[in-house]
Amino acid sequence: MALSGMRGLSVFISDVRNCQNKEQERVRVDKELANIRTRFKNQRGLTPYEKKKYVWKMLYIYMLGYDVDFGHMETVALISAPKYAEKQVGYIVTSCLLNENHDFLRLVINTVRNDIIGRNETFQCLALTMVGNVGGREFSESLAPDVQKLLVSNTCRPLVRKKAALCLLRLYRKNPDVVNVEGWSQQMVQLLDERDLGVLTAVMSLLVALVASNPDGYWSCLPKCVHILERLTRNQDILQEYTYYGIPSPWLQVKTMRVLQYFPVVEDPNVRRGLFDVLQRILVGTDVVKNVNKNNASHAVLFEAIALVMHLDADKEMMSQCVALLGKFVAVREPNIRYLGLENMTRMLLVADVNESIKKHQAHIISSLKDPDISIRRRSLDLLYGMCDISNAKDIVEELLQYLTTADFGIREELALKAAILAEKFAPNLAWYVEVILQLIEKAGDFVSDDIWYRVVQFVTNNDDLQAFAAAKARDYLDKPAVHETMVKVAGYLLGEYSHLLARRPGCSPKEVFHIIHDKFPTVTTPTKALLLSAYVKILMHSQPPDQELQAQVDEVFKRCESFIDAEVQQRAVEYIILSHKGPSMVDIMAEMPKFPERQSALIKRAEDAEGEPTEMSATKLRQRQNSMALVVADPGSANGGLPPPSEQLALPEPPPPAPEPAAPAAPAAPQSAYANGTNKAPAPASTNGDLLGDLLAPLALEAPPISTPSPLTQSADPGEPLALALYDQQNQIKPIGSIEDWFRALSLKDSGVLYEDPYIQIGIKSEWREAQAKMVLFLGNKHTVPLVNIRVLILPAPHLKMQFSRVPDTIPPRAQVQVPVEVTCLSASRETAVLDFSYTISTLPVNVKLRLPTLMNKIFQAAPVSASDFVAHWRAIAGPPTKLQEVVRGVRPMPVSDMGDLFNSLHIGVAPGLDPNVNNIVAATTFFSQAGATLCLVRVETDPSDRTQMRLTVASQDPNVTYEVKEFIKEQVIDIPFARTPAPTPSPAVMGLTGPAAVLAGLI
Amino acid sequence: MILAALVMNTQGKPRITKFYVPLGVEKQQEAIRTIYSALSQRPEDSCSFVETEDIFGPDTKLVYKHFATLYFIFVIDSSESELGMLDLIQVFVETLDRCFKNVCELDIVYNFNKVHTILDEIVMGGQVVETNSAEVLKAVQDIWKLERVGDLNVPSVRGIGSYRSKS
Repeated sequence: MALSGMRGLSVFISDVRNCQNKEQERVRVDKELANIRTRFKNQRGLTPYEKKKYVWKMLYIYMLGYDVDFGHMETVALISAPKYAEKQVGYIVTSCLLNENHDFLRLVINTVRNDIIGRNETFQCLALTMVGNVGGREFSESLAPDVQKLLVSNTCRPLVRKKAALCLLRLYRKNPDVVNVEGWSQQMVQLLDERDLGVLTAVMSLLVALVASNPDGYWSCLPKCVHILERLTRNQDILQEYTYYGIPSPWLQVKTMRVLQYFPVVEDPNVRRGLFDVLQRILVGTDVVKNVNKNNASHAVLFEAIALVMHLDADKEMMSQCVALLGKFVAVREPNIRYLGLENMTRMLLVADVNESIKKHQAHIISSLKDPDISIRRRSLDLLYGMCDISNAKDIVEELLQYLTTADFGIREELALKAAILAEKFAPNLAWYVEVILQLIEKAGDFVSDDIWYRVVQFVTNNDDLQAFAAAKARDYLDKPAVHETMVKVAGYLLGEYSHLLARRPGCSPKEVFHIIHDKFPTVTTPTKALLLSAYVKILMHSQPPDQELQAQVDEVFKRCESFIDAEVQQRAVEYIILSHKGPSMVDIMAEMPKFPERQSALIKRAEDAEGEPTEMSATKLRQRQNSMALVVADPGSANGGLPPPSEQLALPEPPPPAPEPAAPAAPAAPQSAYANGTNKAPAPASTNGDLLGDLLAPLALEAPPISTPSPLTQSADPGEPLALALYDQQNQIKPIGSIEDWFRALSLKDSGVLYEDPYIQIGIKSEWREAQAKMVLFLGNKHTVPLVNIRVLILPAPHLKMQFSRVPDTIPPRAQVQVPVEVTCLSASRETAVLDFSYTISTLPVNVKLRLPTLMNKIFQAAPVSASDFVAHWRAIAGPPTKLQEVVRGVRPMPVSDMGDLFNSLHIGVAPGLDPNVNNIVAATTFFSQAGATLCLVRVETDPSDRTQMRLTVASQDPNVTYEVKEFIKEQVIDIPFARTPAPTPSPAVMGLTGPAAVLAGLI
Repeated sequence: MILAALVMNTQGKPRITKFYVPLGVEKQQEAIRTIYSALSQRPEDSCSFVETEDIFGPDTKLVYKHFATLYFIFVIDSSESELGMLDLIQVFVETLDRCFKNVCELDIVYNFNKVHTILDEIVMGGQVVETNSAEVLKAVQDIWKLERVGDLNVPSVRGIGSYRSKS
């Protein structure tokens, strides 16, 4: 056995090893530390050998976990020692004990520099290693040029040069300015010609860092990287020592492919072809072999190749080849490969549309959920979460629930949360959702937050046909032996509200229900007690005819709580005892809770907020967000009862007869509408939670009127108001050059132009509409000379639009432009616009803007030329509200009739001149396209020559929703914004004594 | 990037610790304890990766290999290839094996200074310097030769061969 070569050190180590316990060890270590301290204090007579020995001892003690707070000076001083052995110890121990901010390090910068520029290669290596490990900013400034020189030198040994490469990487990280892109990129290209694979590996690590912060600056390195990859995979002139189990340097292959992922997608067809050839060879040529190490190495390369294929937006065929490979991996027994298969499949979900092909492997993925290895279970859980959609939600969620009973503690919370989110997002029906959440509470009540059960209550309250079902379920759960408090809360609430629906079932009489709930009363916390008191009084109220015995029992409970220590419980008890003797009049006060307005699930919002890097997530996020609408749409008896026939509009809280609306230009849309519109303007979740609790309990506390109609709540500030959506964040220090509002207005009539511009970035937009579909391209142009980083593009689509876009790179290089194609499909009529949530960082200053995208209705309009007879025939065929709507609009921007005609034409609402003989009137027609098809829409405007600020507007189409939206849209276009709109009074008889078609029209209207 | 390279035995005693990100002693020890408790619970046929978000932040994981009484652990962030790290551990261990002829835990305990030298030739500043075991060995032997020249004037090491038998 080779020994450390220092007797004293070996003796000390074996002393420590012989210690029976931690206490003895500490005593021995303290003794040694004291000894070293004295020896260092009295430097005289301390030989270099002894110094070296003590410093090693210090490192050993430090590794054992003891703080060594002295001797740093001595350690650092060794660096300046002339002898190699001492210098080496000095360098090694310094890089272990000290961190980059340590003052002592500054003292040796000169010595270190002398070692680096000196001729002794072994000294150079030591110095480079130390700086590479702990070098700070000051080292950066004083050493970078020397280190660069060593790296490109053709006289240095490879050993020195590879260390120089990594040392430079460290210095670059500490201060990026030390590398000048212009000069250095050419040097990097030459360095990539290096034949020594050790140097090349180090250079590649350096290149990763350089490219990551400036892909364009090092673009010229890209062909070289492809070439290196080709050379490696073909095993062309690779030294035997650099093959690892027969594979030519797997590390270098992996690193090279990593670099390629930091460049933007390669467009050059030649380079692309070469690259895909190589990748294809890797994908096809990797087999599973017996030797574990060989397997690891070949699969390291293979997984990196798959990642690169994903990055390059390869064609469908290659993508499905990758999915097939990953599918194979998730089914193998070898745990490492399976783990990485699951991980990469999850990653793939984010970048490519492979959901369907991944679903084929669902069975294997689910079986990994039961693997004994928690790492694999976690990956499997993540993947299942990512791949879940409406088609497989039932299977996946039930699988998660089943697993929850056996899952170990470490993963339970995550599991419960994910199950709850998926259940909510993709519930095929609400009864299923309620059942899943109740099961969840039963199995993992500790991890079911209040948000989740509030949500259950909301759904049940809003859906009459769910109430008896939910109450019955709640009743069953209370029968179980150990009931979680959350279950008591939700069951108590549901039974209080709806147990009367079960009264005829066995075991569900008011008295029995009361008893089963009250059994839990002594063990629950105070807030739950308060909730249960409300439940009791409700049960009592519903027991018809009044049950004296129950009344007495409940009274007794209330009486006992009259002096309860908690004020809330006490107050409720006192109030309820009086109320419960009011007889039938109690019914008015204790009636069922009104329906809740639609609102965004706090849970889903939190999940979205918590999701990681937005750019990478965006595709998935958008997809999930669209899917999450499903629940709202599938909700049959939603709060908005009086709306036009079912369509996507169900969730839009805008009843056709507009109640008096405040103009309040800057008023943000109410939260519930924000959810419905998917624009994510909801307030912070914390306040939502608060509201929610308030909503659940307020009417019971008798402070709010017992029944409030939901409609006023669902009224929102008109989102079409241009100012209401000037969402520009006031807190930004970087201001736009110009008015976002003006740009938007210009774009509402044009198909291309500027959407936003500030000193650093210009966002242009170009769109091309074809009926209900549009190809839109966003141009993100960096105007500045430094790269813009942390680029994040999120599109918050309006619910009537389907929008898809591909991944956006993280960084925009200086003076470069990135194009983001967006596919838009219009599903139904709405005046809403999608919102672009865009952020970037310019030299650590984050900028975020939210911009309306000009996805306006008029873009979808096509002016429809109609003859007089056609117009009249259609007009006549559409009888009245809701398909034909009329409104007198006031506050109109005064303009001549001809200008208004021009305005209509520019909005693609084709004016049919002369069709209405009255020169003060306009009739026009347009076709609106949505996924459902084309809808002809007829418009008639009667203006009053004596008062140009008002007009009568009539809109007719086959679809009530289109009619309403078109009418509102036209209103928005003609109205003078600062004035409030007033409700429609009786139509003024503006047309009188006319003959011909106009008279016919007038008679019809 | 490699955030840390650790060698610890199956009782949780750290044998080599090298952190490439600044971390106080307390934090280091806490990390070592957490890592040990995670590893010691893993069944033998588990995968070699453990996610370590609570110790080293998001997107970090441990890649480890278990040899006899020792765990060899690299902590990495998402910019490194997991399997590549396993290969690197293998290179590290093969190199140790060549240096110490059938390396065992005791070799590493008593020669922790040499192991540090070897590790420095493989990983530097969290990046891989060299993956070729022969090359590493050559560099390390050069260093030791130089060291010995400097130590010629000190008493030679004798009489501690018996430490090996204690284990």
